[in-house]
Amino acid sequence: MGEEVTYRVGIPVLGLRGETLGRLEKILFSESRHLVTGLVVRSLESLHMIPLEKVTSVSGTEIRTTLTEQDIRQSSVFDPTQYEEVPPWFFPPGHHIELGALVTIKPLDIREQGEEACRSRRAFMAKSVALLATAIGVSLVVPIGGYIMAAATTPVTDNWRNLGVKLQDLPLDEPVQESFRAVSVSGWMRVPEERSVWLIRHSGAADPWSESEDQKKNLDSPLEKNDSDPRLTVLSPICPHLGCEPQWHKGQKLFICPCHHSIYQLNGNRIGGPAPRPMDQLPVRIAPDGSISVIYEQFAIGIAAKVRLA
Amino acid sequence: MGQKIIEYLDERVRIRALMSFLLNEPMPGGSRWAYIPGSMVLFVLIQQFITGMMLAFYYGGTPDHAWDSVNYIDHLTYQGVPVGRLIRGIHYWGSSIMVIAVGIHLLQVFLWGAYKRPREIMWLVGTVLLALTMTAAFSGYLLPWDERAYWGTIVGTNMIGLVPLVGEAIKDAIRGGVGLGALTLSHFFTIHTMILPTLFIILVMLHMVIFRRVGPAGPFSGTPEQNEATKDTFYPRQVLMDSLGMMGVFILILLLAVLRPPGLESVANPSNAAYSPTPAWYFDWIFQLLKMIRPEIVGVVGLPVLIAVVLIFLPFLDKKPVRSPFRRPFSVLSALTVLVSMLVLSLMAENGYKKLVDVDRAAMVQGQVVFNQSGCIGCHTVFEKGGKIGPDLSEEGLVGHSVHWLTVQFVNSKAHFPGSIMPDFTYLTKQQQYDLAMYISSLGRMGWPDPTKAQP
Ligand code: FES
Repeated sequence: MGEEVTYRVGIPVLGLRGETLGRLEKILFSESRHLVTGLVVRSLESLHMIPLEKVTSVSGTEIRTTLTEQDIRQSSVFDPTQYEEVPPWFFPPGHHIELGALVTIKPLDIREQGEEACRSRRAFMAKSVALLATAIGVSLVVPIGGYIMAAATTPVTDNWRNLGVKLQDLPLDEPVQESFRAVSVSGWMRVPEERSVWLIRHSGAADPWSESEDQKKNLDSPLEKNDSDPRLTVLSPICPHLGCEPQWHKGQKLFICPCHHSIYQLNGNRIGGPAPRPMDQLPVRIAPDGSISVIYEQFAIGIAAKVRLA
Repeated sequence: MGQKIIEYLDERVRIRALMSFLLNEPMPGGSRWAYIPGSMVLFVLIQQFITGMMLAFYYGGTPDHAWDSVNYIDHLTYQGVPVGRLIRGIHYWGSSIMVIAVGIHLLQVFLWGAYKRPREIMWLVGTVLLALTMTAAFSGYLLPWDERAYWGTIVGTNMIGLVPLVGEAIKDAIRGGVGLGALTLSHFFTIHTMILPTLFIILVMLHMVIFRRVGPAGPFSGTPEQNEATKDTFYPRQVLMDSLGMMGVFILILLLAVLRPPGLESVANPSNAAYSPTPAWYFDWIFQLLKMIRPEIVGVVGLPVLIAVVLIFLPFLDKKPVRSPFRRPFSVLSALTVLVSMLVLSLMAENGYKKLVDVDRAAMVQGQVVFNQSGCIGCHTVFEKGGKIGPDLSEEGLVGHSVHWLTVQFVNSKAHFPGSIMPDFTYLTKQQQYDLAMYISSLGRMGWPDPTKAQP
């Protein structure tokens, strides 16, 4: 059958001599071969299955076959419980079938064990599949989560750095920006970079500026409290608002951040602008010969608490 | 809740119809274990995609960073779990298992005669996928940029260069220049992580679409009526078999990744002429065959062409509809012969390689203590530390001396080098000798410094 075939349910099925054998009821479909293999014909007695080879022509009004009434009576009877309807995308090419008329034999297990028993067996299998899939998924996703977090949580190591300047060489009550070379580490990459800190030498321990605002407000960590010196305040150059670098304005004797105009006093005390906390004080050690060492810590930006970046 | 989501989606994208189209595929003759290899390949491929993306997270694709980044991945731990080594191990072993799974899939399709009409086009797409798999394996080999990767790729690309007329040009195009360098690495990285995955996705989809158009071939025996009478749907029985198979493959890969983590030899050293490269095991048989075919060019050009021609033309030459392997003795016997010869050739190749000592990591750690305390370090340099009187031993583990050879060398070096000025370390205990041998065998192969712990 090369050209398109239209099956219309209900049209008469004629026998060898043109007698009416019955009416077209359903079309049988072989999923394995993707072919229509037979027709189901309703006669007065029952539903008969006739193979497609016996069909000679199909038109919109009748189907002609080479069968006799005798053949029809001896043909196998269609058992609707053994068959199920085929969804439209299974239709073989070139066949037009009115919906609900194309049927195919049900899978073996359903026919043998009955719909009910089979449904529960199949539900069990579906659950096992879901379980296996979850097991594989979880055992992949968990290490991947750890893999991503491993780099994110690599601890930063502390290092005292000797700045190479001596306390006695610094001007009194006047911030000095001291830069030094450091190495920034990112994963497997180490990049040399320039960093700087503000050094403020105080005229004496009684100097009102000798204690940084940080310290007064008790924002400092134990490390910073242990390693501080009344003669010197070391401030991070990073603005706690959004990370710009405040500059010292000699005339006004103030640190002013160029980005959003946070204003700080000599000891880092914030007196204006959007910054949520004073400038960050860093730990410092002063050797007997006056040489200065610091730890270049970095803190979370934009919050009132002074939280060290891990 | 779940029901509501399904209702919502069903109304909009008809999800139920879609799912039933995907899952209720008829399987002529019912579900079978024999049908799982294709799904195994797909599973490993997806796993390679996922772990590959993860590796790319931390990978640096230039010669001065590639090795460092792989070493970094090897040392990544989270809460004490060596996650980096695990992810890399899954990807490393996944590639081997993928090659095996593809081989089994091909063999099954061949034995079942499932490549025959009307499935010729599906077979052709499969052939291309096989080529992609081998290219992926080859291009991934270079990425760690260690000695093995470097020298293996030198040999591999030189082989391409032997092809008459175009070979030289193709080789240089792949390498991005005459020699192996930064451009080679970024070319390979791009091929491995962008071009191949894209092609994989397109061709796997094509493979599956064709599969759904023509349907599964079903068993090779039995009439269509029998197959129709015993048919099953793809879901759930076949899906369950596939899932169990996937679980097995997954466990196998995990075990390999944990018990035999991939190594990392010392960083690629173009001046190390003494290095004798070995191909990945799945190329062993080609390597061995090429050694036997003279002139070389016949093998280098002929072998791939022969394989391609056989695979491509098979479904068009073999047109007899009979599918049972028992009724195609000639085909099956030739396939078997090819398989056995590949096995024999591979074993021969493996035998010809220099065996590197299987390092016992606990002894290796002890051995390092012996090395540092018993005076070895006074004369020998290892990783830029130590004396300059004896030779630098930083890559000694790659030379391939046996444990016995090394032990003799420790206690009586004149046995190997009559003029040797090395003292006889006869006071080392048997255990110390063994530990030291393990440490020396590990040099250049493992035990790299941990970059996650390094000081700034
Ligand atoms: S960044 Fe300094 S004020 Fe905004």
